[in-house]
Amino acid sequence: MHAPTLTAAPARADGADWAALALRARWRRTAEQSALLAFLLAVSIPILLPYFWMVVISFTARSGGVSTSVLWAACAIIVPAVMIYCVVHLIAPSTRVRLVAALVLLVATIALLIALVGPALHVANYRFLWRRNIVEEIRSKATAGGQFPSVWIAFRNSLALALSETVIILAVASLAAYYVSRFAFRGREAFLQGLLVLHAFPAMTLIIPLFLILHWIGLLDTIVGVMLVLATIELPFYVFVLKGFFDAVPWDIEMSAMTDGATRRQAFRLVVLPQVRVGLIAVGVFAFIRAWEEYIFVRTMLIENTHWVMSLYLYWVSDDIMGVDYGIVAAVSVFYVLPSLLLYVFCQKYLTQMTIGGIRG
Amino acid sequence: MPEDGDAMHAFARAQSHRRRANFALFLGPALVLLACFFLAPVIVDLVLAFTDMDRTLAVTTLTLDNFARMTSRDTRLLASLGVTAIFVLCTLGIFNVSFALLLALTTTAVPRALGAFFRAVWLLPRMSPSVVYALLWLWVVDPNERGLLNQVLIHVLGMAPADLRNNHPLVLIILANGFIGASLGMIIFTSAIRSIPEHLFHAARADGAGALAIVRHIVFPALRWPISYMTIHQTLSLLVSFEYILLITGGGPFFDTTVFSLYAYRRAFENGQYAYGAALSLILIVIGVIAALVLWRLMDMRRLLQTPRIEVH
Amino acid sequence: MKWNLAAVVALGAALAAVTLPAVADEVVIKLWSRADRSGPLRAGNIVAAADTLNKLLAATGTDKRVKIELNETNAKGYDEDALDLLKAFAVDKGPDIFVLAHEWTGAFAQAGYAWNLEDHIRKNPELYDDIITSLWQAVTYKGARYGVPQDSEVRMLFLNNDDMRKLGMSDADIAALPAKVDAGQFTANDLCDLAGQAVQKGAAKYGILHRPNAGPDFQMLVESFGLVPYDKATAKLQASKTALRDFYTWVKYCTDKKALVADNTSMSWDAIEHASFTGDDVFAFFHGVWRVTDQMKGLNLKTREEYFHRFTWINAPAGKKGGKPSNLSHPIAYAVSAKSKNRELAAYIVGLASQPYRNLQHAVSTNHTPIDYGEQSMPELVEKGWALVAATPMLKYASFMPNHPKIGQYNAIVFKGIQGVETGRLTAQKATEFVLDELENELGKDIEIQK
Repeated sequence: MHAPTLTAAPARADGADWAALALRARWRRTAEQSALLAFLLAVSIPILLPYFWMVVISFTARSGGVSTSVLWAACAIIVPAVMIYCVVHLIAPSTRVRLVAALVLLVATIALLIALVGPALHVANYRFLWRRNIVEEIRSKATAGGQFPSVWIAFRNSLALALSETVIILAVASLAAYYVSRFAFRGREAFLQGLLVLHAFPAMTLIIPLFLILHWIGLLDTIVGVMLVLATIELPFYVFVLKGFFDAVPWDIEMSAMTDGATRRQAFRLVVLPQVRVGLIAVGVFAFIRAWEEYIFVRTMLIENTHWVMSLYLYWVSDDIMGVDYGIVAAVSVFYVLPSLLLYVFCQKYLTQMTIGGIRG
Repeated sequence: MPEDGDAMHAFARAQSHRRRANFALFLGPALVLLACFFLAPVIVDLVLAFTDMDRTLAVTTLTLDNFARMTSRDTRLLASLGVTAIFVLCTLGIFNVSFALLLALTTTAVPRALGAFFRAVWLLPRMSPSVVYALLWLWVVDPNERGLLNQVLIHVLGMAPADLRNNHPLVLIILANGFIGASLGMIIFTSAIRSIPEHLFHAARADGAGALAIVRHIVFPALRWPISYMTIHQTLSLLVSFEYILLITGGGPFFDTTVFSLYAYRRAFENGQYAYGAALSLILIVIGVIAALVLWRLMDMRRLLQTPRIEVH
Repeated sequence: MKWNLAAVVALGAALAAVTLPAVADEVVIKLWSRADRSGPLRAGNIVAAADTLNKLLAATGTDKRVKIELNETNAKGYDEDALDLLKAFAVDKGPDIFVLAHEWTGAFAQAGYAWNLEDHIRKNPELYDDIITSLWQAVTYKGARYGVPQDSEVRMLFLNNDDMRKLGMSDADIAALPAKVDAGQFTANDLCDLAGQAVQKGAAKYGILHRPNAGPDFQMLVESFGLVPYDKATAKLQASKTALRDFYTWVKYCTDKKALVADNTSMSWDAIEHASFTGDDVFAFFHGVWRVTDQMKGLNLKTREEYFHRFTWINAPAGKKGGKPSNLSHPIAYAVSAKSKNRELAAYIVGLASQPYRNLQHAVSTNHTPIDYGEQSMPELVEKGWALVAATPMLKYASFMPNHPKIGQYNAIVFKGIQGVETGRLTAQKATEFVLDELENELGKDIEIQK
């Protein structure tokens, strides 16, 4: 919503002072933008601050408690720097000035941080990455065989679960969404309505019958079982989303492929699917992140302690030593969040392009 | 000519054969998964609700006792429904739809890169694992001075430390779920806003429309469908999900934040009364389905479905 | 050529037979136990017993060995762990040997998961006759024994002497307290008065801290108010309205005086231990004798004298003046799965693990009371187990929890009532009604509600 900026024009005989009007308009816009930015900053701080705090704790906390002095010190340095940059950004006449200002501020911030906060930093809290039994080292022995496995086992299991579930969802949902988008089969509307209504089915409280069904199929206490259940629960939403992407693909592409002799299936695979690449990536990322964080189903469907995943690992570690050693809990959290975060940051532009199937105003 | 007729028949048969094959290939996997892990559990749940299964997973009789208990002997039920109503209405009204809308409008009104940055920040809670998110909230509302919230309250606002978890647990779960809920609506609304043609805005500005007028006359009409869909989707979502509540307050203190879905879960897994939990879930399913159908009607979602254009296999 | 081929095949087979190591004949026994800071040797002793067995097997020259597969869970308490175990057994994924809190014996026996050990115990007196006779009561259900006691303990309230001194009490006053409790002169209300005073005067931050989840401790408190949970004659659980109301009235009284902490039930174990075992923040900690080790470590107490300078132990005081205090002993037991393919072997391993030497390691290192008569005269017990020796007289007022299959639910409901009153959500009257309602709902014909 950018209004074109009017350039100054010489004063006209009819008395309208265009230059003054233009200036007023620009100042009004700047005021509007500043107000919007201030609002957005204000509401974003409650989100950013705790995450930043978690990272700070993981690098500074020592056994025995958590303090926020480092956090506030870091904030005291970073927040003014950001605010100064915002002001510069708004009033700077050219991009070059903005760039130079950004660089100067960045260097100053880093230097100040190193000087004031640097000495307090350490990586001892991350030693759970190479030492298996730190919980029992910090508290005392609780088991004969070790209370926790190596975190890499949990990491590996989480990765396997998330990757396979993503693959299943992408395959099943894209096939179904294409069909619903392109074919008028009997019961199409009922199917879509049904998908929407399936959201009303409390997946969490269906845990009891799901538990029984998995037991009857023989998939209880397996990662495969959890994977299939998770994939199914999320399916309705992803079908809707992908349908939206398929709807947006023009018919002509398919038509021309088929008049060239391709079957519907070939058209789907070779021509249409590449067009919805963005949708597939968005759904894939969402599905991966969702499976990466799964806690309740894993906790209920896995019986023995053989299948550790990251969510269980973090939950039990924090349950055991949170009061004694915040640093380790924060470090495990940071380690756990990192893959989701990286995936999310790099695929962000795909995620923001999701729409709901077929909605055109 | 006869060969043409045969060829036509053959073609028609092949076509109908491929149609069925396509149906099986494309829709089949989804239908199988949904039938096995969505519909089957609902049926099992339906049956379970009429039994007396307890923690030994053994069924001995069929009985209506669960429903009798629900209507006459369960003192926690009404309270739980009340909590659910407050929770769903507040979270939906304040965050999931309204705040999402606000975020979408504001982040599209600032330069693109900045808008993307703020949207990224607000998507962060949804993207982080639930255990981590819950842990962060617990640290933030820690009743000692070391909790972030209390640090702000004490040092910046000069107030007394607050114990949200014990004194205002409903506020806590509404906030926690709201931050998550706002993000989905924000994305959907943003892409809808972005798909509005630029020239409409230029024309409106040239006609002298202020920001509010633009929002009212250009943006809102374009958002009608996304808002309807989000309302339905989020209402259902809030009705049935309790993961964050479970992780942050456990449904407590006592039963204060035990929404209906969590109530069924707790009865089943904390007390081992699986049949009663199934009966409660059944009621929830009925409520949810009715809500979905009613909202579908109210918001005229049929127009959502475009008819397909090619029917060739 | 043909003979070459045949020769090669024959040679290959011969080589294979010689060079392939004889696959050791391994019998796998699955053990399920809870990761418990105060009991790593519960699992450890089973592993050690299997080692002993393997040494015997090796000495006979056979290749058979026994391997213990550990499944050590992170459940918050024995009640939660028992529920997980029931779930596992229900889907045929139960272990061969499991560790459980004794009051769950009934539930597992009735469901058919715990093996009736009566025959096995009778046939092997050399393994089991040394076990203290009264302990068998804890694992008996309907006249038969379904488990082997693994340890026992004494529960008490640990009073903070330093806080009491800050309140102006003299050392003589403090030393006289246990006797006053036993005589019924220092009642439950008096305890809350004292604790509340400590909090209000700033001597302590928390009054009385107890466990954050359901457990045996609370039965001790409720019994001081006259509640008898089990009727031996009818073999049913029972609950008395008056006793419950008196009890919850006391809980309300204490919460109002700030003697009980409002969010005690939502604190983590970690937070409670941190507060109780370091510094002077807690006036009274309610748990059991096995905590002595943690207390000494956290407060840097080296000797018996230093310990008793800092702590006084009392039973749960009587509800009314002149009444009797109460105590609880809560044995943990080993049980064998009735569905196990190797249940005899599993039972023998349990028997080996219950011998005096092994059990003493557990008893002394974690301050649990011994299960064998033989342990009581071992020098190590007298040297290192002074806490156990000091605690034994308190057993005079001790009872066990009943082994009814639904005692777990009973405890959970009583606990919920406590939580409701402490958090201020329920009044004493409402709590009583709530608890009675839930008991009737969940236990149905298994419980008798009395006036």
